[in-house]
Amino acid sequence: MLDLMTVDPAGDFASVAPATKEELLARVAHGDQSAFGELYDQIAPRVLGLVKRLLVDHAQSEEVTQEIFLEIWQSAARYEQSRGGASTWILTMAHRRAVDRIRSSQAGRDRDTKIGIRDLAVAYDHVAETVEVRLEHERVEKAMTRLTELQRQAVSLAYYGGFSHSEVADMLHIPLGTVKTRLRDGLIRLRDELGVAS
Amino acid sequence: MTDRNERELHPADLAGAYALHALDATDVAAFEAHLAESEQARIEAAELNDTAVALGLAVAPVQPSAALKANLMSMLASTPQLPPVPAPRAAGPATTDAPASVSGATSVVAPVTPAAAEPTEVSGEAPTAQVDTARTDPAAPRPVADIRSGTGSTSPGSAAERAQARWFKRPAQFLLAAAAAAALFVGGTFLGQTLNTNQFESQQAAGLAQINAADDAQRAATTTADGQEATLVWSNKLGISAVLVDNLPALPSNQDYQLWYINAEGAVPAGTFDSSGDGTAWRVLDGTMHAGDQVGVTVEPNGGSDQPTSNPIVAFQS
Repeated sequence: MLDLMTVDPAGDFASVAPATKEELLARVAHGDQSAFGELYDQIAPRVLGLVKRLLVDHAQSEEVTQEIFLEIWQSAARYEQSRGGASTWILTMAHRRAVDRIRSSQAGRDRDTKIGIRDLAVAYDHVAETVEVRLEHERVEKAMTRLTELQRQAVSLAYYGGFSHSEVADMLHIPLGTVKTRLRDGLIRLRDELGVAS
Repeated sequence: MTDRNERELHPADLAGAYALHALDATDVAAFEAHLAESEQARIEAAELNDTAVALGLAVAPVQPSAALKANLMSMLASTPQLPPVPAPRAAGPATTDAPASVSGATSVVAPVTPAAAEPTEVSGEAPTAQVDTARTDPAAPRPVADIRSGTGSTSPGSAAERAQARWFKRPAQFLLAAAAAAALFVGGTFLGQTLNTNQFESQQAAGLAQINAADDAQRAATTTADGQEATLVWSNKLGISAVLVDNLPALPSNQDYQLWYINAEGAVPAGTFDSSGDGTAWRVLDGTMHAGDQVGVTVEPNGGSDQPTSNPIVAFQS
C-alpha cells in the first residue's frame, strides 16, 4: 500500500516537513503504528491539557487520555477530512470523553463545584508553552469578553467545567430554558468573534 | 431531564448545549432528530462545534508521562481497528449517543494506565499506590460521535456493525500480534539483559500486552525513593506482572536494577534490567506472581543477587 510505504521512521528519507495530523490519521487508519506514535507526540499534550482542565485529577486524566487515543486508533478510518481538521475531530472526542467520565463517576460528581466557576483566566495559570497556544488563548479570552456575564459563565461552566445544562442552571440559579438559550447565544457570539464559519 | 416549568423550547435552542456536550441522552436524541431534518441546523452545529474546539485549543497543554505512550503503544497490536463507515450511511435521524454513553467511560479500553501517582487534589482517592480494579470488557467500540454536523455516524447500527463489535470483544490474535509490539518501544528504554535480545524483547512485549489485555488487569502507582513515577501492572489470573518507571536513573556498569517478588517465604528474584535514564524503563517480571505478593526493585551488583542486598527503591503491594 502506497501510503504505508511512505512511512519510514528509521530511514533517512524522511520528508522535510513533518506530516500533518490529517496525513498521520490516514496512515493510522491503515494500521500504521509509527504514524500513531507521531500523531500522539503532536497532540497528546493538547488532549491531556483539555481533559485535565475538566477532570483536575492527573491520574484520572491520563487514564481518559489513554482511552481517547485508543479510540483514535480504533476509529481512525471513520475520520472524514472533508468534515473538518484532525485536531477538531480529536479534541471533540477528548471533550466528550472527559464529560462522559465526569457524568459516570462519583469522583466527577464530587468535584468541588468551584472548579467550574473558575474563570478562563484562572484556568490559564501556567504560562503557555508555545506562542501558538498563547495567541489562541488571547483570542478566546478577548472573544469571551464580548459575551454577557451570564453567557460567559454558562459557556465556561459547560465547556471547561463539564457540567450539564441542568447543573449549570442550578449553579447559576436560572431556569433550564434560559441556560439553553444562553449557551446557544453565547456560542454564536463566540463563533462570530472568532470568525469560525464554514 | 425534562423542562419542568418551562414552555416548549424549539429543538434549535439546544444547539449550544449540544456542541458543549452539556445535554443528556434524551435531549441529544431530540436535537439530532432536528439535525436530520435541517441543513441549516447542521451547518450551525458544525460551526458551534468548531467554536467549542477553539475553546479547547486555548487550554494550556500538559505533557503526559512517558509511561502513557509506552503503554498505549503496547496495546495497539491487540486493539483491532474499525473499518470505515460502510456506505451508504444509515439515513434518517441519528441514533442518539446514549447507548454509547452507558458503556461510556469503560468502553474500548484496557484499564491499565501508567498514570502518575500525583496526589489527587479533588477526588477523595488515596494519593499514592492506589489500586484500580480493572474495568474489563475491552470491547464495545463506542460509535464515533459525528463531530461535525451530528447527522449521525454515531449509529450503533446495523447488525453487521454489532457483529463487528462483538468480534472486538475477543482479540484472540493478540498473542500473535503482540510480537509485533516488540518493535514499538522506540521511546522507552528497554534493556533487559539476557538471551538474544530480539527474542527476549518479543517475550517482554508480549507479556506486557497480555497483562494489558487481561480482564483482571490491575495497576498500582507510586513513586520511587527519588520521586520517579513507578507503576506496577499485573494480572492475578495470568500470574504475571510488569514494572514501569519513568526516567529511572542510569546505573554504573557494575550495577543492575533487580526485581523481586516478596511474600511470606521471602524475596524471590524476578529478573534484572537497566535504564538509560530517560523515557520509560519497564520489564515484565520473571517467574509467577501470586495474589498478594509484593513487588520490589533494588539496586544490585551487575547480574543480580540471590537475595536483596539493599533497600528497595520502590515497592508495590499487589
